[in-house]
Amino acid sequence: MTTTIDPTLHTAALAALEAGLNRTLDLSPQSKSGLARLEDCVFALHCTAPTLDIYLHPSAQGIRLAGTHHGPVTTSIKGEASDFTELATSRDPTATLINGGLALEGDSAPLIALQQVLATLDIDWEAPLVATLGDVAGHQLAQTVRHAFSWGKQASASLTRQLEEFVHEEARLSPPRLEVEDFYRDVQELGLRVDRLQARAERLQLRLQNARS
Amino acid sequence: MSDKETTHFGYKEVEKDAKAGMVADVFHSVAARYDLMNDLMSGGIHRIWKRFTIELSGVRKNNAVLDIAGGTGDLAARFAELVGPEGRVVLADINDSMLQVGRDKLLDQGRQGNIEFVQADAQFLPFPDNSFDCVTIAFGLRNVTDINLALRSMLRVLKPGGRLLVLEFSKPQNPLLSKAYDTYSFRVLPVMGRLVTNDSESYQYLAESIRKHPDQGTLKNMMEDAGFCQCEYHNMTGGVVALHRGIKA
Repeated sequence: MTTTIDPTLHTAALAALEAGLNRTLDLSPQSKSGLARLEDCVFALHCTAPTLDIYLHPSAQGIRLAGTHHGPVTTSIKGEASDFTELATSRDPTATLINGGLALEGDSAPLIALQQVLATLDIDWEAPLVATLGDVAGHQLAQTVRHAFSWGKQASASLTRQLEEFVHEEARLSPPRLEVEDFYRDVQELGLRVDRLQARAERLQLRLQNARS
Repeated sequence: MSDKETTHFGYKEVEKDAKAGMVADVFHSVAARYDLMNDLMSGGIHRIWKRFTIELSGVRKNNAVLDIAGGTGDLAARFAELVGPEGRVVLADINDSMLQVGRDKLLDQGRQGNIEFVQADAQFLPFPDNSFDCVTIAFGLRNVTDINLALRSMLRVLKPGGRLLVLEFSKPQNPLLSKAYDTYSFRVLPVMGRLVTNDSESYQYLAESIRKHPDQGTLKNMMEDAGFCQCEYHNMTGGVVALHRGIKA
């Protein structure tokens, strides 16, 4: 264990994190079945900045977090907090694991499965709202929350698309993707032709030397 | 009294044979409101201390675990989840009132099948040699009449490679914290005990028994003398509580 802080603080932080995580998972029944498939796996996250070790024990009841673990680990990953955030939010975790700053030991497939479960949480807000506010008010508030999320997603996608168009087409700050790909293809072709020309020149030079001798 | 062996009961010197009965009276008196008092006295932090104990226990599926002085069953409940239906958890307590409260609480939570309840003295554990993968005793060792005898008894029932975890009040490492802690223990706790359980003497005993309990280093040496190896301890909340761990070779 590399933890240097008082175990009380470390354990309290993990307990709070675990409670929050499991409360969220409770609202996403689909995710629980995904976690049940990882029941016997243990994931070790060794964070180097800040220095912190966390062990994840998934089960059908949720995820248990621990600061220490004695026994075999399915997958162990080491890196900085920013690397872990990148992996957690990545749409393509395999590419992030290959190209990112994380060092991985063990089996990557269960880790990718866990990342998928956590990245695709489908939270049902209606159940806790109905339980707290009653059927009518709870349902209406849940509808509002759903519409707000849906609008937020659409607005974000639309903003990204319009910003891209502005940067490429209106302000010409950056060339469009196809133009860049054409340019790289031309550069590659030019490079090949230069290589061929150089080979011919060398062969010609060799012939001239042989003719003189 | 002079011919008989004596031991401490808080700050009092009492006959060895009498201590168990006196401790029993304390716990008979507070059993009904034990959990509430624990939460009030520690501000809920005792749950964090117990959680760390569970982390360090390394208990996993199919293990056999003995929780001595298990009281109201906080540790036993969690161990029962970890060992699964094929595992075995024994909640042992010398005090029948505490055991009754613990048993009712766990059964009311629907925990059964892999939990047994045994009234047992930590000094003379009624189990065969090499029976358990892990033995825990949380906030109980200081009440035992002969700590060395209890440690040897725990070693006997552990399987080779098994772990003993002792969670107990200890000596704060910071002098300022120590002063504040003394004031809290001797002035606030007895008042709190009188208000909640109508029994200030039991909580006066609690404060005194903590002061008489061996400090971190001494307890570690006692565990080594009893035959445990790789003994270590972790101070928690500045040393107010320490978690000792030893392995049976």
